[in-house]
Amino acid sequence: MAKWIKIAGGVVVIAAVGAGVWAWDSLNTGRSKVAGDSVTLAEFTSEDAEAVERGEYVMRMGDCAACHTREAGEFAGGYEIATPFGTLVSSNITPDAETGIGGMTEKDFFNALRQGIGQHGMLYPAMPYTAYAKFTDRDMHDLWAYMSTVEPVQNDIDENGGMPFPFNIRLAMAGWDMLFFDNSGFEPVASESDAWNRGKYIVDGGGHCAACHSPRNALGAEVASAYLQGGNIGDWYAPDLTPNPHVGLGGSSAEDIATYLKTGTDGVAVAAGPMAEAVEHSLQYLTDEDALAVGTYLTSLPASDNPAPKAASLAETDMARLTDVYEVNCSACHGLDGEGIEGMVPAFSANHGLLGDPTNMIHAMLKGTRAAHTHDAQTAAGMPSFAWKMDDTQVADILTYVRNSFGNGAEAVSPEAVAEMREALDAREPLRAATN
Amino acid sequence: MNRREALFSLGSMAAAGGLASRAGAAELKGFPKQTAMSADHLPTPARSGGGFQVLKSETDQKTVKAVFDRLIPADDFGPSASEAGCLEFLDDQLSGDYGAGKALYLEAPLSPENEEAIMGAPQFLSTPRERYETGLKALEAYAQETDGAAFHALSPDRIDEILTGLEAGEIDLGEGVNGQAFFELMLQNVREGYLADPLYGGNRDMAGWKMIGFPGARYDYRPYVDRRNEDLGLTPVSLIPND
Repeated sequence: MAKWIKIAGGVVVIAAVGAGVWAWDSLNTGRSKVAGDSVTLAEFTSEDAEAVERGEYVMRMGDCAACHTREAGEFAGGYEIATPFGTLVSSNITPDAETGIGGMTEKDFFNALRQGIGQHGMLYPAMPYTAYAKFTDRDMHDLWAYMSTVEPVQNDIDENGGMPFPFNIRLAMAGWDMLFFDNSGFEPVASESDAWNRGKYIVDGGGHCAACHSPRNALGAEVASAYLQGGNIGDWYAPDLTPNPHVGLGGSSAEDIATYLKTGTDGVAVAAGPMAEAVEHSLQYLTDEDALAVGTYLTSLPASDNPAPKAASLAETDMARLTDVYEVNCSACHGLDGEGIEGMVPAFSANHGLLGDPTNMIHAMLKGTRAAHTHDAQTAAGMPSFAWKMDDTQVADILTYVRNSFGNGAEAVSPEAVAEMREALDAREPLRAATN
Repeated sequence: MNRREALFSLGSMAAAGGLASRAGAAELKGFPKQTAMSADHLPTPARSGGGFQVLKSETDQKTVKAVFDRLIPADDFGPSASEAGCLEFLDDQLSGDYGAGKALYLEAPLSPENEEAIMGAPQFLSTPRERYETGLKALEAYAQETDGAAFHALSPDRIDEILTGLEAGEIDLGEGVNGQAFFELMLQNVREGYLADPLYGGNRDMAGWKMIGFPGARYDYRPYVDRRNEDLGLTPVSLIPND
């Protein structure tokens, strides 16, 4: 990012702190009144087995473990999140009184989760409280009950020790919240079906889909006007989830989407990278009804106006050469006709996901990747890294070929983009034969 | 050691063994996350640049070239061994683990007749690198002694004659050099250089593979399984694409 954006961003944040004093709406904790404020999490263990079970479902939906479970133990934090503003470390959310959230009352818990008002100050919006704000009181009570059954782990974490000034000032987030945080619960739309409303609740709330699938502005806030229309998340790209017919979910039914969420594949596309993790740890646990509700909601969205990609023109000689390269390197799994292997290996034919931003394809070529390991699709087929074998031009060429074969047409991938990603991912340089 | 002590020590050995195996065992759950090739599993390409490392003397290079190009001469089917990079291949191999005999047991004692009878071929305590160093010098000395000229300056027919004699075990290259075994070693290495993946320095432009119709490191032949008795015209493929 250009330095001026960072500096300008800092100035805006600090200015916003002043304005934040009047930010009554985003700091109004009135919604937490329904929560208890006398017993701390460390002192409390729920005996309501049903509430605990429902709370576990809410935890899965919210995918708390994605960021809060690392080597230190379940929910003990320690995940380093690189943001454009510095490195954040996920907190310890076990009921440990000293290093976890054991000192929180239910009301504190509600404030933190739904409003980003934490025990050490304001939370950074890397924690999707902007989405969790939609959680119903009941889901919150259940989640509180579940968290009370989690094993306390002692693991002291300095969440923002890696953030430079001014981004290490937590109070600045009050200003950010004033600008970007909508402190309101989920409002069902009466004219829509129950399934649609349930789907929207999951997508906008616990599922926090927009955290990745919406683009973010220079201050790290989701761009509402491009809601779920695709977002770049560093070295992966979260594709357009609207029914855009070119690069989005156009052509996918609600059932296709439900199958994808539950298994990691709809028979054509296969989840990889962070989406494979989301499926593994969170989405596969959705009930069939909830998964279908998400599909119902997503298919109802207005299609984005992301344009149809323009096909690259490859010389005939290049096509002939690359057909052979494809056959030698790709066809064994992805098929001579780009048909893939159903349930395991993505197809290239009729797969919109590969026509837009090429980030994911480049990432997969350089680092390899793995399908989600789910209860219903256990193979977790692996894509090997080709970094050892192909140079930047060769990776770009074969991706351009794939994006322009099997009925596809999309812009060429540039060797420069591959080179940039090779460096960013610290992927190895290719082996080369002797030249003397 | 009496029987009680023997039993006791067996017991502690078993206990130690049990502990050791428990400490060394890795429990695998799920599936491996790693999708990059392990460095251990990657080939080591021939060095680029820097000239010859083992065949440093010009005479040695010329002697090897003279031998290799009689074993695989240029003809209508393909280039000669040296044109295909077999000297560079050999030098690179001799400068690495192969030349150092890393895969060989090189400790004395050695009883040549006994080991040859057991293994079916002569055995040595010297490394392939040392065998080339002594063998090439012996070959040059033999040419100087019998023909009064350098080995590489001899006529193709005369070189063939000497090689044939070596192969038959009829030429003695002197103390410490098994001429017949040295011939076998050179024949083996020139074939390897001509037919190994080009990434190892030989088989330039996949000349060896084109000659014998080997399609190289292709992963999947399902599109061709049913096509019998026809020239598939497959372009050979190296492990490392070089275009």
